[in-house]
Amino acid sequence: MAATPMSAAERQRRLELRALLNKEYKWIDRKWDLVFWVTAIFVVAGAADITKQLFAGDWDFWTDWKDPQWWPVVTAFATIIIPSALQYIQWVAWRFPTGATYTAVCFFMAAWVGRFFQWNIAESYPLNFVWPISTVCAAIILDWLLMKTRSFILTSLIGGPIWALLVWAFNYIPMAPFLQPVHFMNHVLTVSDVQGITYIRSQTPEYLRHIERGALRSFLGETQYVSLVFGGTMAVLGYWIGQFIGRYLAVWPIRRYIKTL
Amino acid sequence: MAQPQAARKPEEGYDSGALTTARAGKPTDWLVGWKSLFWGCALVMGANVFLWFWDYKFAFTAGLNSASREFTLYYRTLFWGELIVLGVFTGIWYGWLIRTGRELKTQPFSRAEEVRRIAVLWSIIGVTSLSIYIEASFWPNWDGAWHQTLVRDTALTPTHIPMFYFFFPLSVVLALGAYIYGNARIPALYSSDKGFPWSFFLLIAAAVLECMEVAFNEWGHSLWISEEFFAVPFHWPFVVYGWLAGGMFAVWGETILRLYEIEKAEEEATTQRPGREHAVAD
Repeated sequence: MAATPMSAAERQRRLELRALLNKEYKWIDRKWDLVFWVTAIFVVAGAADITKQLFAGDWDFWTDWKDPQWWPVVTAFATIIIPSALQYIQWVAWRFPTGATYTAVCFFMAAWVGRFFQWNIAESYPLNFVWPISTVCAAIILDWLLMKTRSFILTSLIGGPIWALLVWAFNYIPMAPFLQPVHFMNHVLTVSDVQGITYIRSQTPEYLRHIERGALRSFLGETQYVSLVFGGTMAVLGYWIGQFIGRYLAVWPIRRYIKTL
Repeated sequence: MAQPQAARKPEEGYDSGALTTARAGKPTDWLVGWKSLFWGCALVMGANVFLWFWDYKFAFTAGLNSASREFTLYYRTLFWGELIVLGVFTGIWYGWLIRTGRELKTQPFSRAEEVRRIAVLWSIIGVTSLSIYIEASFWPNWDGAWHQTLVRDTALTPTHIPMFYFFFPLSVVLALGAYIYGNARIPALYSSDKGFPWSFFLLIAAAVLECMEVAFNEWGHSLWISEEFFAVPFHWPFVVYGWLAGGMFAVWGETILRLYEIEKAEEEATTQRPGREHAVAD
């Protein structure tokens, strides 16, 4: 069958792309890729962890802070910011829908290194009291959404609420055993409450705890869901803060100069 | 791209042998262009391991009471020791960068040499990235664990001393050093006549802002709340530095584009005069 003009053009384009793909350079080799992807792990992990720690760290440090009211809101907001920035960078640079997953894995490793060496080894807190959350599963879904929609707007609007839901859902699984009721000193508490009482935090007294506060408790069984919906809204906001970082702090400055007088 | 005159117009008949820097192997071999990455990371990790073990051994035995003799012996000494080591390192490194940079600015260089210099710049940036991780994640974890359990009576706590007064300024030194390196050695991107690059402005601003935030943090803890609530608003500026470090990606981006330009110039030159390597002339 004779090729149509369109298919010939398409074939030519594919040949050009294949030639570009197989082009051999004198100095550009895989070492540059390796150095970039490995050394970027550290700055990405650092940025993701400091963002989470200082916006939502208290809710992530201890099992007894992982409550139904604040934890889903602040965590969803704080943890989506850097994944969003990396999603933009990797999508613009390589059309890789992997930025959020890359960030989530970096963040996961950094969080565990911190918890193990600093909280567990150095300060003797048991890991089942101070384990960090994981955002890897939610990040895979966020990247999949970007790949399918090819739109940052849709990814933010759909992905933000899904991020809040999945970060909570996937971390509720390891959290669930610590929410089981126990009888402790004539009171019914959760296992995580008992952990909080047993391991002294003299510089985080009770009056500082931002958990289970406010009239939202009168919503009874709806508390969790109201928080998740609001957490989804905050995640959309966090997603666009991340986009700002990716667009204007990481990509826009490329080859731009502050003019000298 | 504009180049300094010396780099743009090499002497007639300048052969590749005369223009290379007498370093054996390809500029992108692990032990040529990337050597600085391994040495730099080893030094930073060595310092980090030393400081971790120091705190592990002495934090609970000598670091609880800042008025004690033990604290002075083990921690104030460590504090001053860190500043002296960092100051001496900075003086020697910056002095070498500036002195050799002045000489190199007037000398032509080959494309291979520029590629090697970009690899060295990436190495310094890689070490900066490691330092940023250590100051933004590794030590803040111990700082959180320490402050949420123990009463602070000084700004020079056992966890602050390695984090605030060594790794924070180290990141400033590394980021600024990377720019000084690029300014003299990669003129196509970072020569002074182009102005100051936004990429390095953001990266250096990130590191400097972090040091300034230390002062705000200590002031806030002494004025408002001595206890530790990690999400307290006066901690938030620490986060901004992590965001400004996005400038590091701009450094990577602009140097990658430069690499493609060098490759293109090399390809064109090889097509014109096969077997000869030319100075950058684009």
